[in-house]
Amino acid sequence: MALTLIFTLGEELYGLEIDAIQEVIEDPPLHYVPRAEGVLSGAINFHGQILAVIDLPSLLGFPGEERDHRQVVLTPQFKSLVLTVSAIQRIVKLDLTTLQPPPEQAGKSAIRGVAGLDEMMVNLLDTDEVINQLENSYAE
Amino acid sequence: MRVEISYKFIVGFLVVVVSGVIVNLAVPYLQIPPEFQQFFSVACALVVGLIIGSIFSRAFTANIRRLTSAGERISRGDLSAEIQLKESSFPDETSDLANSMNQIQESLRSLVGDIRGIAFKVAGSAQSLSGTSQEVSASSQEVARTVDQISKGAETQAEMVEESNRLFKEVAMSISLVATAANKVVESANQTVETAKSGRELAGASLGSIRQVLAEAESSSQQMLNFIGQLQRISKFVEVINGVAQKTNLLALNATIEAARAGEYGRGFAVVAEEIRKLADSTTISADEITDLVEGIRAEGQLVQSSMGQVIEEMESGREAVDRTNQAFSAITENAEGTRAKANSIAELAEQQITSAERITRAIDEIDKVVSDNAAATEQVSAATQEQSASMEELAQSAQNLSTMSESMLQIVKQFKLVQDEQE
Repeated sequence: MALTLIFTLGEELYGLEIDAIQEVIEDPPLHYVPRAEGVLSGAINFHGQILAVIDLPSLLGFPGEERDHRQVVLTPQFKSLVLTVSAIQRIVKLDLTTLQPPPEQAGKSAIRGVAGLDEMMVNLLDTDEVINQLENSYAE
Repeated sequence: MRVEISYKFIVGFLVVVVSGVIVNLAVPYLQIPPEFQQFFSVACALVVGLIIGSIFSRAFTANIRRLTSAGERISRGDLSAEIQLKESSFPDETSDLANSMNQIQESLRSLVGDIRGIAFKVAGSAQSLSGTSQEVSASSQEVARTVDQISKGAETQAEMVEESNRLFKEVAMSISLVATAANKVVESANQTVETAKSGRELAGASLGSIRQVLAEAESSSQQMLNFIGQLQRISKFVEVINGVAQKTNLLALNATIEAARAGEYGRGFAVVAEEIRKLADSTTISADEITDLVEGIRAEGQLVQSSMGQVIEEMESGREAVDRTNQAFSAITENAEGTRAKANSIAELAEQQITSAERITRAIDEIDKVVSDNAAATEQVSAATQEQSASMEELAQSAQNLSTMSESMLQIVKQFKLVQDEQE
């Protein structure tokens, strides 16, 4: 059993284990970073630290979505990135033993697996893969 | 000294007798033989008798001849010469006769002169009479023709009078229809005035009601605006509550994360955080419901308010319409009163006209009679004129005859010679 913050990207529910979450913040003043483009929205001042804000829907191919006014700050283990999502729902307990592997084409979808929650499906986000993809996109 | 012829004869006889006696006495002294004395005295007496007789008879026959010739002259028509007898110391009956004949001649002369003057005048007058009578004859023929035309005209006139009579009776009928119609109009106008008055009262009452309702609707509209304002305040409160709930939710999220990080020690706190999250969620749901409700009420309120506005507008136009209706009723009343007055005067006029029309009909009847009489009279006149024309022709003929006769009379009178040197 693992506590997971679930949020929506498009019609789908996505989950992020709270072990990777430092804090959920609300409407931080966003500073635009010069020459920033693509998934990098800008930077925020988080308790004196300057953190990069990554637009997760853009990164995972859901452009044009609505954005929640709250953002998720990852732990320093995940480079303290700030993720913008469509809509934060709540924290639930997911039974990771029922986790099923993602569909075949999900090689680049940054999903660790799909877990059932009541009548719904939650795509558990692979935080490492997200960061990989991010680094790859900036390496190109 | 006047001596009558008989005395002259007696004187002559006495002279003869005296001379015979004287001779008889004187003879013896004349130495005439006695046997011749008788003879001589007879011869002397005869001679004296012859001388005196011849003297006497010559003078007498001369006068008689003169008188005879004068009588012949007068009988020829010569009245110019005065009858002059030989101057005599002893005028006798012949000079009386001559004087008488002179007087006769004088009388005849003046008579003939008068007759001649009159004959002249008569001839002139007869000629002008003839001319005039011819003109009169022509004129009377003209008159006859004209009278004929008048006669025809009188017939036409009679027909036209009859036509007029018929038409006028129709007119009289129409006028009485007009009078009836005018009376009906008066009744209608009265009803209209009454109706318009009650309509005006009703419109006034409606106007009062509409004003009241309008005032109430306006205050309701104002109240609805206030109500909507209050709802906006509720919305603001709900927003605040929502904000608080969201903050609470966020805090609960972070508390859950922190509790998880604290491991076993944070378990109880995690439960509290979950309960807080649930409270915050239900608060958010309730706040959303309130927001929905408020939104619905506000929308309804706006609908009510706009409906109220429409109602007010309609009431306003209704008020204007009633106002106009009121004015229209006033105008109708005025017009109907005017119509009533006019129709009244029309009815009165029509009554007068009916009376006049009856008089006119009677007059036309009389005219008809007169025209008929006229036609008859004209025919009589025509006949009379024709007779007159014939008479005038006769008269002209007579005037012509008279002229001719006066001419011949003038010729005759001219045969009389009145002055010595007058020649034909």
